[in-house]
Amino acid sequence: MGSEASDEELMLRYGKGDARAFELLYRRHRLPLYRFLLRQVGNRDTAEELFQDLWMRVVNYRGRYEVEGKFTSWVYAVAHNRLMDFYRANGRASFLSHEESESVLEDLPAGEIAADLRLDRKRAVERLLAALAELPDAQREAFLLQQEGDLSIEEIAAATGVSRETAKSRLRYAVAKLRASLGKES
Amino acid sequence: MIEPRDEELSRIYRDAEEPRPPQRVDGNIIAASQRVAGTRPRPAGIRFARRWGTPAALAATVLVTFTLTLMVFERESDLDTTAPEAPPADRPAKVSPAEPRRADQSAKFSPAKPQRAAPATPIPQAAARRDRAEQRPGKGAATSERLGTGQPAFVPEVPRTSEGLRKSEAAKPAPAAPVSDAPNASELRQQAPPTPAAAPAEGALSESAATPQGSSVAAAIANRVAVPEAKERTPEKWLEDIRKLRTEGKATEAERELAEFKKRYPDYRFPEDMR
Repeated sequence: MGSEASDEELMLRYGKGDARAFELLYRRHRLPLYRFLLRQVGNRDTAEELFQDLWMRVVNYRGRYEVEGKFTSWVYAVAHNRLMDFYRANGRASFLSHEESESVLEDLPAGEIAADLRLDRKRAVERLLAALAELPDAQREAFLLQQEGDLSIEEIAAATGVSRETAKSRLRYAVAKLRASLGKES
Repeated sequence: MIEPRDEELSRIYRDAEEPRPPQRVDGNIIAASQRVAGTRPRPAGIRFARRWGTPAALAATVLVTFTLTLMVFERESDLDTTAPEAPPADRPAKVSPAEPRRADQSAKFSPAKPQRAAPATPIPQAAARRDRAEQRPGKGAATSERLGTGQPAFVPEVPRTSEGLRKSEAAKPAPAAPVSDAPNASELRQQAPPTPAAAPAEGALSESAATPQGSSVAAAIANRVAVPEAKERTPEKWLEDIRKLRTEGKATEAERELAEFKKRYPDYRFPEDMR
């Protein structure tokens, strides 16, 4: 019964004092959110700290939560804001400096994944993760929001506070770079 | 052209090892969520309580304090008004023409104009109630006033006059002389000649006592006033006074006094001249 409830219902129930609703919500989103944070910051300790802090924000916001969209859009927006605080506190200004133009993206070729990597899944994953870590923060975030949060381009734009076109370009650029990393032999 | 969502890339990404948050972190978060869940079930109510809790508590405190203060004040006032109910019997009678009680008394002595004898009384109803209370047998005037009228402001005035003294004495048990022995209003009316006009209260009484015509009235009054005084006099002094009355030729008064004396001291061994 409880597991069939939507994220938004669970959050509202938790806001009314239903602790079990929060537990269900947490179990649904803990792994994607943790991966999102871990891959963004690249450090387990920092990721755990941010992860815990993120969920505390959710807990503290329970009384004010209103359904204005998907819970995932809201919670990843909270995660984004927490990340921005972290970047600012640690002098990582690169997040906002990587604004790609459509013209640059138009020039990127649609790289093919190498045949041997199609067979060697493990190596392909390693190559992908390595390339992901090399991406600019904003591009990586756009890719992770799509993969972990299952957000659309519009939702990514809303969660990160940018225009739809910017969000789309970031995502395209990230995908192009990742495919490129899988297409060539290292 | 690159597609916004690359399914092949997504499949490779999903094959990656899934890092998990440590159980410690899970425990912390769940525990924190449960800890606060019960404490804030209705945020609107909490906000209301936060906003109005302090003013409401202050208002309640002020109300309780005021109520308690009022109760204490009322209790003290009640004590103040009930305390003088039983004044000392030897308290001198105060002459106050404006007092309604004087009007009652002068009405008894001046039957020709009883209405005029009631000047502007502050609370005539209270005076009437006092009269009614006076007629009740076996009940103290002060007590009946207090219970009947519920106007404690009048209670302390009662013993100021000889009438009040008489009432006070009537309320007291023996050895005081019974009030019924004192002449009643009809007796006094028979004894006293009609006065031309009702004089204001005590002044009229003093004047009538000074004239020869009013001597019997004065005697009656003296007799009534003497009741509380008798309490003070020793038997010897009382007999001495009776002798004095006899020598002054006031035989009637002397006999009356003697009768009073015998009632008061029935087993007294009288001297020869008094037998």
